[in-house]
Amino acid sequence: MKCEQLAALYEEYALGVLEGEERAELEAHLASANDPCVAGVARARWVVSQLALAAPDAQPPAALRGKIMDAIKANGDTARAVVPLEKPKPAKPVAMFPLWAWVAAAALALVTGYTIRQMNNQNDQLAQLRKQMKLATMQNQALQNQLDMDRTVAMVMMSPDSIPVKLMPKVKGMPMVHAYLHPQMGVAITADQMPSVASGRTLQLWFVPKTGKPMSVAIFRPDAMGQIALVAPVHMPANEIAALAVTDEPAGGSPQPTTPIAWMAQMN
Amino acid sequence: MLLAVVQPWPEGNQPTDAALMERILQRDSSALEALYDRYGRPVYSLALRIAQHPSSAEEIVQDVFLQLWRSADRFQISRGPLEPWLFTMARNRALDFLRLKREKQRRREDSDSDILPSAVVRPDPEGDIDRSRRAEKIRALLASLPEAQRRAIELAFFEGLSHSEIAAATGEALGTIKSWIRGGLLRLRESLEEDGS
Repeated sequence: MKCEQLAALYEEYALGVLEGEERAELEAHLASANDPCVAGVARARWVVSQLALAAPDAQPPAALRGKIMDAIKANGDTARAVVPLEKPKPAKPVAMFPLWAWVAAAALALVTGYTIRQMNNQNDQLAQLRKQMKLATMQNQALQNQLDMDRTVAMVMMSPDSIPVKLMPKVKGMPMVHAYLHPQMGVAITADQMPSVASGRTLQLWFVPKTGKPMSVAIFRPDAMGQIALVAPVHMPANEIAALAVTDEPAGGSPQPTTPIAWMAQMN
Repeated sequence: MLLAVVQPWPEGNQPTDAALMERILQRDSSALEALYDRYGRPVYSLALRIAQHPSSAEEIVQDVFLQLWRSADRFQISRGPLEPWLFTMARNRALDFLRLKREKQRRREDSDSDILPSAVVRPDPEGDIDRSRRAEKIRALLASLPEAQRRAIELAFFEGLSHSEIAAATGEALGTIKSWIRGGLLRLRESLEEDGS
């Protein structure tokens, strides 16, 4: 996967929720210091860290500050606590070992070296097995995730409470995008034979309210087969939505549409 | 006299986090006190929210600041500001505490529970808004999300659950949980970027 495709996952990775194939893909990029994903994830870490401020404000006990300072001073690890060390006296010459002791020590070192080498080999094999197991688990998890997403999309599509909406393309020859609005489960988006999206770009779904600015609902890209199937949460009652629109935006999405509408549906 | 060596910071001329970290490297404990005065409260609030017990939160805060003291040489201001670094370290410590408490072996066996947080990049360090305003904004944003979506994000951040664990805990489909969290984080990013904060 390219960095542009992984950009939508940066915050989830920083939050620690990402699993399976997606996590493995991103970590492979992060292993390279010059990969753009490294900076993207670093920036996402800042965004996610800000959720700490959602914790209810609480005053620490007054004594805590003193406890911390006592703890570092107790280690004698402060500038004020530094005491010049007395210069060590030269050690007395050590008596020579007899020859038999040197031979015994050399034999012991050989045996120890051999044992360590054997242990290292076994550890390598064990690590290899663990790696293979981890990969198999990740592949299984990725398939499971896809299956779960398909099930959710199907549930929304088939629910009698869902409102089906057809988003018509603005360019001739392009396929239709289908949306199904469910008041609780969210909006399911499906499409087939979609053209590939340019590198560094993404498609973004918007709810256009009867009054006010468009609201971002989801960012997505067709898969390798040109298919789209996803469910995104709905933040707006259906009767307040005037239209649904899809635009082509930079990877990661935009706060407001920056390009002309590519697909659109008016709500009655 | 002791009072003669006390040097309060001039009003409006607070030392930067980077300057305080430099002084910590020189083993100046008063710099750690200054950083505690600056960040002790939000770090304690976070630890208390996760650990749910005051004495545990105290232990976590103490651990975080001692780690800051011991590992000051591993913090590089060029790699990002101190605040998110501290928050990330506090969250990791508190979640480790939770996991220990629940006696659960978690998938993070090879992750960073014992190491320091990775690099953090803040988009616009100059455009800072004060922390309490940012906190209000983030709380308002979470409050504006549907209850179930907010709960999913809180389970991820404050309880350290993964997508599938949240799906299991809430009974929602995994795909729904992913969409909720992705949508919520996108709104958080957009909201923070709007202010250039």
